[in-house]
Amino acid sequence: MFTKEILFRKIQSTKFYIFIAVIAISAVIPLVVGDAFLIHVLTLMALFTIYASSWNLLASSGQGSLGHAAFLGIGGFVSSLLAINLGIPPIIGIFIGSVLSAGIGFLIGLTCVRLKAWFLAMVTFGFSVIAETLVSQFDDVTHGILGFRTPLLVPSGLYFYYFAVLLAALSVIAIYFIMKSKIGLTFRAIHQNESESRMIGINTAKYKLYAFVISTFFAGLAGGLYAHFLRYISVSVFAAGNSFKPLMMSVIGGLGTIEGPIIGAIIIVAIDSLLPNIDKFLQPALSPLFPAVSFVGPPLRFLGLGVFLVIVVIFLPKGVSSLLHKIHNYFREETKKANNIERK
Amino acid sequence: MIDLSTLVLTLMWGAAIGCIYVLLATGLNLIFGVMKLVNFAHGELLMIGAYVGYSVLTLLGVNAYIAVFLSMGIVALIGVVVERLAFRRVLGSDKLNEIFVSLGLILIFDNIAVLVWGEKSQRIISPFENMSLRLGEVSISYDWLIAVAFVIVILIALLFLIKKTKIGMAMRATSQKSQASMLMGINIEHIYIFTFALGAALAGAAGVLYGIIFPFNPYIGALPTIKAFAIIILGGLGSIPGAIIGGLLYGIAEQSAVIFLGGIWRNAVAFSVLIIVLLLRPKGLFGEKGE
Repeated sequence: MFTKEILFRKIQSTKFYIFIAVIAISAVIPLVVGDAFLIHVLTLMALFTIYASSWNLLASSGQGSLGHAAFLGIGGFVSSLLAINLGIPPIIGIFIGSVLSAGIGFLIGLTCVRLKAWFLAMVTFGFSVIAETLVSQFDDVTHGILGFRTPLLVPSGLYFYYFAVLLAALSVIAIYFIMKSKIGLTFRAIHQNESESRMIGINTAKYKLYAFVISTFFAGLAGGLYAHFLRYISVSVFAAGNSFKPLMMSVIGGLGTIEGPIIGAIIIVAIDSLLPNIDKFLQPALSPLFPAVSFVGPPLRFLGLGVFLVIVVIFLPKGVSSLLHKIHNYFREETKKANNIERK
Repeated sequence: MIDLSTLVLTLMWGAAIGCIYVLLATGLNLIFGVMKLVNFAHGELLMIGAYVGYSVLTLLGVNAYIAVFLSMGIVALIGVVVERLAFRRVLGSDKLNEIFVSLGLILIFDNIAVLVWGEKSQRIISPFENMSLRLGEVSISYDWLIAVAFVIVILIALLFLIKKTKIGMAMRATSQKSQASMLMGINIEHIYIFTFALGAALAGAAGVLYGIIFPFNPYIGALPTIKAFAIIILGGLGSIPGAIIGGLLYGIAEQSAVIFLGGIWRNAVAFSVLIIVLLLRPKGLFGEKGE
């Protein structure tokens, strides 16, 4: 009854039509522009949509993780190692990887749910460094230091793209229903005021642990896909950059919303993959200004991202998606006004 | 087998590194105590401090240990700008926002450093390069001893500032109850700026001392922040003596781990200490009050 109601409400909403439109567009785009590089970029966008959404789900319960790369790495390593050592097909392996990632997420969550925001950020960051150290330490089993070639999941190119879009759409739908359910409501209550939530009888530790497990499951899934997509995995997957990316995507897109991580993933992946194309024009113009550095493009880009992030947090705390909402509301008001005038 | 001289060297080396972390941790602790703000980009100020010291040294040709004071001043000014432009605007809103702003600042500082000074590793050459004190079989570099002395002097000056001067009293009042101290006529905004600048200055001093002992590049900032954090938690939030003992213990633990377990464990030790302490004693080993 409850879910039926949600479904019914959902079908009526504009969001649903936008979601269908996005799926339709992402299905058609590669047929219109068959460029292999563009399909690579689009696949990355789909992968990072899963990853950023998983981070965003955790953040919606007030827990900002700085170590999500640990779960990306666990998902990737488990699936690739299972395929290589035991011959388990990657399509099953990625799900084993995500379940294992959720299991480790549960254990880490047990230590984290009682911590305040800053300590949680530090401790999660710490777990990703510890994961990196352990993978390097047991190199005989993991082959992590040099890295290795991962087996094929589905044929690369178009097939992989459609597979990634399918999984991204399913993940977003699953996360949507979790966020709309009572659990999601509880997450938001805990984020807004943890002690008051406890006062009205919410077992906050339990729900924060739920958030951890669900989030790390999807992060592990994204990790498995990522490893099989790049066809290579090494210990560098645990780098801090991979932990910060989903954060930037969610914050820039819109924290705690369902569309935020999607918009953020598209923006950040586009900046990461498409902007390097203008480097060769920037290089001759700017390199006399910065004699110390051989390539001015990458640091300038990261600098711009940092400034963008700070500006979004200060001036647009609900992210780029809140701008879209404002535009949407503005047009609705305008049409309402126009209708009223006609009626008069 | 570990002989005595290795043990003494480990202790000394650990103490020297620990001292640098103590400076960073004290600054972080000060800012946290007064503003209830955690600056994850604090290690970036250390990195900028090291580069400022390096530039002052190469451009003006002054002594490396005089560069410590110049770097303190310049980094304090940078701290004021950061506080005004970024942290002031998210102070008191969602705690996650402070983390996000810090991450943005890490990206900004790292890449400004890359653009200005390049990615190559640099070192600050001190006048006592390659000179060491011989005690039997052990030889201890003068630079370590001077670093320890510097930290002691700076900490004593800081304690004097906090305990004896009027502005220190205002800082303590603000850290206890900011609204009540506002009612008593303290300009909290000024106290915030001063505290942040003071914390940044300590990071700047730590940066130059770090640069004298270790080679540095634009990306060294992140780990010292985390280590300083581990030290604060070890010593208890808001407790300066706790931070000093925690810093020394931590530096020695890290060096012991490197010698007994191997180099790749250097960073994992920081977090293992952090996590174990948080699990067993959430208020820190010497904590006065929990947050």
